Amino acid sequence: MKLYVPHAGHLEGLEELLSGSKNIHGIYMAGTPDYVGTGRTNLSAPGLEDIAEQTAYAHEMGVKMEIVLNSSCMGGQHLTAEGFNRINWYFTQLNNIGVDSITVAEPYFVEMLSREFDMEVVVSVLSFVDSPQKAEFYEGLGADTIVIDPVINRDFKKLEATKDAVSCDLKLLVNEGCLYQCPLRYAHFNFFSHANGPGPKLNVLDDYYYYKCLSMRINDPQQLIKSPWIRPEDLGEYEHITDIFKIGGRTHFPNWILNNVEAYANRSYDGNLMDLLDCPRDIRDLFYISNKELGGAISQWEQCNKVCNKCGYCNRLAEKIIKVNSTEDGKNVLKPLKFKGGK
Amino acid sequence: MTITETLARNRGELEVKMRDLLAKPVFIIEMDAFALPCGCKGVTINTRGLQYEDLDIFEEHIRKYLKESSEGLEIEPSFLFARLVPGTAEVASLNSRVLCNRCYMDFARGSGKRPRPDIYILNLTRRE
Repeated sequence: MKLYVPHAGHLEGLEELLSGSKNIHGIYMAGTPDYVGTGRTNLSAPGLEDIAEQTAYAHEMGVKMEIVLNSSCMGGQHLTAEGFNRINWYFTQLNNIGVDSITVAEPYFVEMLSREFDMEVVVSVLSFVDSPQKAEFYEGLGADTIVIDPVINRDFKKLEATKDAVSCDLKLLVNEGCLYQCPLRYAHFNFFSHANGPGPKLNVLDDYYYYKCLSMRINDPQQLIKSPWIRPEDLGEYEHITDIFKIGGRTHFPNWILNNVEAYANRSYDGNLMDLLDCPRDIRDLFYISNKELGGAISQWEQCNKVCNKCGYCNRLAEKIIKVNSTEDGKNVLKPLKFKGGK
Repeated sequence: MTITETLARNRGELEVKMRDLLAKPVFIIEMDAFALPCGCKGVTINTRGLQYEDLDIFEEHIRKYLKESSEGLEIEPSFLFARLVPGTAEVASLNSRVLCNRCYMDFARGSGKRPRPDIYILNLTRRE
């Protein structure tokens, strides 16, 4: 199994990660947002010298270095002469540094990187590859690896068909807690791409998408179960698809990341599933979902036809196992979900 | 009891009351006491899962709970309001603020509940 692990972007953090676990195959981190942004928030913007230093260190430790430049919206900047030259220069520097791979979401960059550079080209989850047809398209552009859109993480027919359709590597993101079929997904990642990319910074009042995302779960906690995460115990069910797995979470502390690495490397976690999920972090302290109590659910999902309103399995499971952290006499206690109010 | 212990107790109590009222795990993600350079002071209670419809239907209850929480922190509940994500159902925070004279004039000038698209006034005690 090859585990790709997030990294906030500073050398000290990388040293902590690589000295903390021998189970890391590759590290990924964002670059500077001055050329191509990323579709998620970042804690740092390592410059070329930082990337060079950290790439050398990762290689010394026998670990691959991947730079994530997965803006889902460039606002057309890459199509201008000035924009192209700037981005081309940046890719050239990363190539010269010896970065192993670049993750991009923009199809133009997939083709450009595969034709002009030596680095491996990884198609981001933010390219939303959720079918064999899309996978074939990106492989045709030059993808070496495709990170599958987690929306099909529990759709084994599509996963198997995608595997059969291409010869490039497939990678599965295991701990993204995004809503299944999230209606905010494209708009949110486009917003992040502009907020964390080149160009004028917006004076944003609130991240509406994040508030709404949290609100949807609080108002309907079964959404937590429907999110297409993969439990550490269930990795074996995916090994006929791929042996490359990616842990999300580059804004977390090394301690959190290492906890995830050990859980997925050992294929076991005895604790709150919310501890493992990259997002939504803000409600990690609200819900308790016993990971062990989810044992066996994968059998249902393997033959699930995704008609939730007729099935109700995830809803029943949510009612059975989700607990809510609450306060009683100044102490934290776990309580079942509540369905009656008006007190 | 220290100020942080008082805040922690109030956070938990208000959260329990809101959950009992609304039958959903409304989350008070942070409760902050503040003092601003203009002279305003008070408490900001950041919420997740609370929506405009909850305020609309249970305004009386929520006002009462917020007043009690504010008094528990020894903050005069003269100005209670919710901050909304403008144009949406989402409530970003509940607030109790003792207004400075300048900010008081900003809020007291109008008579409605929505002086700004992001503000929903639950209580404003008018000064003489």
